Amino acid sequence: MKNKGSLIILFLLIFTFVSFSFVENKNEKIIKSFSLKGTDNKKVSLSDYKDAKGFVIVFTCNKCPMAKLYSNRLNKINDKYKKQGVYLLTINSMDTLAYAEESFKLMQKKVKNEKLTIPYLHDKKQSIAKEFGATHTPQSFIIWKNKNNKFSIKYKGAIDDNASEPEKATNLLTNSIDELLAGKIVSNPVTESFGCRIYFRGENKTH
Amino acid sequence: MKKSFVTLLIIFWFSKIHAQYNTIPIPEALYGTTFDLNIHESIKQIKATGNQTVTGSINNETFWGPTLIINKGDEVHMNVTNNLNEETTLHWHGMHLPAVMDGGPHQIIPAGTLWQPYWTITNNAATYWYHPHLHTTTEAQITKGVGGLIIVKDETEASLPLPRNYGTDDIPLILTSRNFTSANQFSVGRAYGDLMLTNGVLNGQFTFPKQVVRLRILNAELERGYNLGFSDNRTFYIIANDGGLLNAPVAVTRLPVHVGERYEILVNLTNDNEGGTLDLKAYNTNQTFGFPGGEPNTTGQFGSLLNNTSFNVLHIIIGAATSNPITSIPTTLANNTYYTASDATVNQSVTITGGQGTVPFTFNNTAYVDTFINKTLSVDTTQKWTVTNTQIFGHCFHIHDVQFKIISRSTGNVGAYESGWKDSFFIAINETVNFVCRFKDYADSTHPFMYHCHFAQHEDGGMMGQFVVTGTPLNTEIVSSTTKFKLYPNPVNDKLFISLNDTTTDIYYITITTTEGRIVMMLPQPQWQNGIDVSSLSAGSYIVQMMDKATKSITTKKFIKN
Repeated sequence: MKNKGSLIILFLLIFTFVSFSFVENKNEKIIKSFSLKGTDNKKVSLSDYKDAKGFVIVFTCNKCPMAKLYSNRLNKINDKYKKQGVYLLTINSMDTLAYAEESFKLMQKKVKNEKLTIPYLHDKKQSIAKEFGATHTPQSFIIWKNKNNKFSIKYKGAIDDNASEPEKATNLLTNSIDELLAGKIVSNPVTESFGCRIYFRGENKTH
Repeated sequence: MKKSFVTLLIIFWFSKIHAQYNTIPIPEALYGTTFDLNIHESIKQIKATGNQTVTGSINNETFWGPTLIINKGDEVHMNVTNNLNEETTLHWHGMHLPAVMDGGPHQIIPAGTLWQPYWTITNNAATYWYHPHLHTTTEAQITKGVGGLIIVKDETEASLPLPRNYGTDDIPLILTSRNFTSANQFSVGRAYGDLMLTNGVLNGQFTFPKQVVRLRILNAELERGYNLGFSDNRTFYIIANDGGLLNAPVAVTRLPVHVGERYEILVNLTNDNEGGTLDLKAYNTNQTFGFPGGEPNTTGQFGSLLNNTSFNVLHIIIGAATSNPITSIPTTLANNTYYTASDATVNQSVTITGGQGTVPFTFNNTAYVDTFINKTLSVDTTQKWTVTNTQIFGHCFHIHDVQFKIISRSTGNVGAYESGWKDSFFIAINETVNFVCRFKDYADSTHPFMYHCHFAQHEDGGMMGQFVVTGTPLNTEIVSSTTKFKLYPNPVNDKLFISLNDTTTDIYYITITTTEGRIVMMLPQPQWQNGIDVSSLSAGSYIVQMMDKATKSITTKKFIKN
């Protein structure tokens, strides 16, 4: 009898655990709200966007030739999805101490020259890139609001699979946004990111 | 009837697909004595369709950099700017020069830094190259395509009836193979690529004029060897090895070219038909085990779709002859006096070790450590080096600073094809190779030169040793009483001048850093008397760190750039 009771408790525990894991995938990383300075010198944080269902976070930089090809596409993605409560933020996490070309001043110049209409934020301490596990520029992430009002990573990888010919590309990022907006599970949650590597300070031999 | 027509159509369609050749680019030629080389990341459409590939290159190129064309006797100045987002070095492979200018693993160029080595060209006319040499990242940076050719010209070469119209009858061929990810990016980690890249393009082709054509062939691979020959088995003529012209052309139908090696060959197309075609191929089928790329595997770390096969290196179309073509092969070339075994007064031995299981290959059971000098050599000595390979695979041995003469191979005679000046050679399994070289000058006990296996994964894994060439100490070496100096004008616009408190101070190295500590300029043994050109620096405060030659101590001074 005593044994039966503990068995039932065990089953109940397993059931609780399993059902919870159906609601929340334990592997999805939760991203805490962060606050970074944009090129207009104003701080931007996730909590500024009260109606946000989710965000697209794109790690990019000033110099990478691959990243440069995406400015126009990112503007278009933002124009389309901000109306649906999905906001795009771009972040520069390059080591500005090592690379003069990634300075805040040159970030401001890039916004002007490439007519970026999306926030371009400076991750001076490289901590946000580390939090996301970003490795390349450009690399995109979708974070989506869960039932506890927290944002978890739902997609990680390329914006699309053809940097120079957008008309021929498979839109890996926006396909995933569409799935999320339709209440579906992202069918392709991780894709190969490519571009220029993000080097974290302290990684290089002579610094 | 209908069926055979369809079959014919299919055959025709397949032959058209197969004929999708790409014209190989000829790297831009840079002439003169000052070369501005900007190393940066670039993008290139390598695969026929789909995404572009992130590459590394120099100046306007997108895979392999420009060809530097320089004259023997000239003092050349290199302004190398590292605009990669990571450290690198740039090594002048085959060049005789001071170790501090050599671009080996110790001459690290941080991201965003200008490095200014210079030296007087004493090498003979031949084809040399430059490539990154940063320990543990050589494979990754060469994979990206950072590197390029150097062509040295001299009077001997100029006096011979040889083709020398760069890109017309004098064609550079840089051979390598690569693997790609599903997003068309280079993948690193496998020794051999599945796809052949000739001058950075797949299925390369070029039109050669109907005359004698010179090919400058560089094996820029990570590991693969190429047993080159023409598809009609025609005879061709080797005219130069790594470090100079041979005494006379050597006629062959096959030529093994291993990693790091350069061969210049002549091929006579005068009797070919205009519009005809010919293929330069790698006949790599059925090589003796230990030949890199001869393995039977098609997948895995040492597998490749090109392994143990014969594959096209260049599709050649015969075009019209140029005006004043070279139409015959010269009978003699240079008049070299090679070193012989009896010239050597010092013997050195290098034994290839390791390579069992997960243990990397090494020399003399010692993996490369950047602070350990393996050999200290006296300047002005002629030496016999003995390299022994009793291990499980072949290797490519390369030594910096010198060109040597191979005097014996334990497996047989030294081939006529490798009878000239060399800086790299292939050593097979169970082989011992002896070569003689001379360390005639540039004594410097601080900066070392390297000797290593040129297989990228082997050198990155520690199959590398270092040597310093030391001079006879002077009896009355003057050590400055002070190494203090002044900078003027300060603030400065363009040229910064140094005024030494003790004029006997010999400046060994100047480094200019920002006040945050970021290195912006590196000047080995600078010609400071003419002033230092700081015009490329943005406005701000900087620190000059001066290392003096005698004590190697560092003295610093601030300046402001307007």
